[in-house]
Amino acid sequence: MESTEMIKIVNLHKNYGELEVIKGINLEIRAGEVVCIIGPSGSGKSTVLRCINRLETPTSGTIIVDGKDIMDSETDINHVRTEAGMVFQQFNLFPHMTVLDNVTIGPVKVRKISVTEAEKLGRSLLEKVGLADKAKNYPEQLSGGQKQRVAIARALSLKPKVILFDEPTSALDPELVGEVLEVMKQLASEGMTMVVVTHEMGFARDVADRVIFIDKGVIQEDNAPDAFFSNPENPRLRDFLGKVAEH
Amino acid sequence: MQFQFDWSAFFESFPMLMRGIKFTIVITIGGLVFGFLIGAFMGLMKLARHVVPRTLAITYIEAIRGTPMLVQAMFLYYGVPMAMGLRIPPLTAGIIIIAINSGAYIAEIVRGSVQSIDPGQTEAGRSIGLTRSQTMLYIVWPQAFKRMIPPLGNQFIISLKDTSLLMVIGVGELLRTGQEIVAVSFKAFEVYLAVAVVYLVMTLTIARGLRVLENHLEMKTKR
Ligand SMILES: Nc1ncnc2c1ncn2[C@@H]1O[C@H](COP(=O)(O)OP(=O)(O)O)[C@@H](O)[C@H]1O
Ligand SMILES: [Mg+2]
Repeated sequence: MESTEMIKIVNLHKNYGELEVIKGINLEIRAGEVVCIIGPSGSGKSTVLRCINRLETPTSGTIIVDGKDIMDSETDINHVRTEAGMVFQQFNLFPHMTVLDNVTIGPVKVRKISVTEAEKLGRSLLEKVGLADKAKNYPEQLSGGQKQRVAIARALSLKPKVILFDEPTSALDPELVGEVLEVMKQLASEGMTMVVVTHEMGFARDVADRVIFIDKGVIQEDNAPDAFFSNPENPRLRDFLGKVAEH
Repeated sequence: MQFQFDWSAFFESFPMLMRGIKFTIVITIGGLVFGFLIGAFMGLMKLARHVVPRTLAITYIEAIRGTPMLVQAMFLYYGVPMAMGLRIPPLTAGIIIIAINSGAYIAEIVRGSVQSIDPGQTEAGRSIGLTRSQTMLYIVWPQAFKRMIPPLGNQFIISLKDTSLLMVIGVGELLRTGQEIVAVSFKAFEVYLAVAVVYLVMTLTIARGLRVLENHLEMKTKR
């Protein structure tokens, strides 16, 4: 079991000045697992995710990613980030680069592989997300759904062991959500380890191995999707699911 | 005695101003090349995490922007040699003054442009494993540079006009050349008008070139 552990979070705390945002979170994610995180806005979901690749520095606690302690000053954080890719709500594609360059800059500058090789890899990744014909386009010429698929290809370009998704479909028009979830489903079926902050309950129910409910900086529930959705024990979760269902 | 506009004095000024025009162009361009290097360096230093480089940058920027360029020129050309015992040739001094002066303004242009780029860009760069400097070089700087172009063009025009102040340290730039012509011909009205026309042609040309460049860059991203 120990060897298949991809992410281990022990007693994570994060404060912004006086404000305590994460109040002691423990979480283990095994290789190949798909874990969805749900919870009200402002509850600390993004913060947890961003601590995992140290876009935010934890105030205290331990985070081990693929066996490396990210708080250890000996750890090469840039290397950890290649192992733990991230997909952002706002896509954050590089607007001054073509779609192909967006997915090759990592391999070329970080992995130091040749441009030819990187472009071969890049084109195969664009094919995978169904955008092979957009290689030479610029991001602003794409729809939101296409942008997010490019962003997924960019995260994949470093061949990460886990991908962190922070509300990947929340900025999309409803009719574009499906194409992004489709790509994520495919990744999950290929065995990619995924941590997904989302409001897409259908996706969580169908694809996740575990669903986690975070509220007020604490994990309130951590369960298999069936039990999580059909039989929620935590009153806060019941309340939250009730509110979501009304929409 | 009635004033008579002397057309030949006006037109004959232009060939005589040629040398001054060349000096003005050389000082402006030379000064701005170094001014950009100083400005890029200081602008990024002002964004540094550590307080020491930040303080250095702020001190430089505030000192230069808070004092007249004329005083800076007098200080560098007459003051510094007294203290250090070395004389700087006027042309070199002119370039140094424009560089140091424009550098402070360019530093603020650089800082502002870099800061205006969405932090999500830096996060995305860092999230694929790029280092801080790689993220600056490949992700933030190219986007920021595009935003710098209009204010840099503006600074180009300001610095070009500011070179006229260098006449006080004896640099043979455009205005000084005009003054020398007047000293001989006494045709102040015609000669200084010609000088003004030359400045205007140069600044309008820069403004025009800038618009062309901006349109070109606009087209490139909308390809
Ligand atoms: N950089 C920051 N500075 C101060 N407060 C922050 C910062 N980032 C997030 N917060 C606060 O931390 C809390 C949790 O934020 P976040 O993790 O983004 O929530 P979620 O993703 O669940 O909506 C919120 O109250 C938010 O206002
Ligand atoms: Mg969030």
